[in-house]
Amino acid sequence: MNEWLIAATVLAFALIPCAAVSLLAAPPHGLAALEIAGVLVSTIMMLLSEGFHRQPFIDLAVVLALMALVGSLTFARLMERHL
Amino acid sequence: MSWRHVVATVLLVAGGGIEVLAVLGLCTMRDVYDRLHYVGLAGFGALLIAAGIVFRESFSLIGDKALLVGVALVLSGPVLVHTTMRSMLIRERGDWREGIEQAAEDDER
Repeated sequence: MNEWLIAATVLAFALIPCAAVSLLAAPPHGLAALEIAGVLVSTIMMLLSEGFHRQPFIDLAVVLALMALVGSLTFARLMERHL
Repeated sequence: MSWRHVVATVLLVAGGGIEVLAVLGLCTMRDVYDRLHYVGLAGFGALLIAAGIVFRESFSLIGDKALLVGVALVLSGPVLVHTTMRSMLIRERGDWREGIEQAAEDDER
């Protein structure tokens, strides 16, 4: 296990508090947690790609970074009045 | 151990530390507006880790795309925070401008 995979594991554990805030707190707080979780998961994909030297994972990180932005913006817009 | 490896490891630790700090901030703050500050911080952690990958790999396919992800996360952070805060203000007050003029008058006094 190299240092990149260790960092990916640490950041994977950091997702647990984000999930807890999303599940237990009010929806606006959950959106903030979701936004941070999107950054964390994109970073984890980058770290896995470097740790395993597998190029497809970095493509996932690129797509996920963009989709996390679009998803969070959509939730923010919906949360104005509907959620 | 080459100097590139050392620099990459330092950047990795710094970036990971910033991301963990962002999660700790999310957990310790109680107000949603305080919590949103840490979204931008997490993006900078991702950029540092991407810089670490570039230092180790140089400008390879993985290095280039890691840098792209890091820059995208740093740039998207303020956009996300601004949009989310605006939405929260509309949710609470009906209009995000409400109260701004009063606050400006208070500042002038």
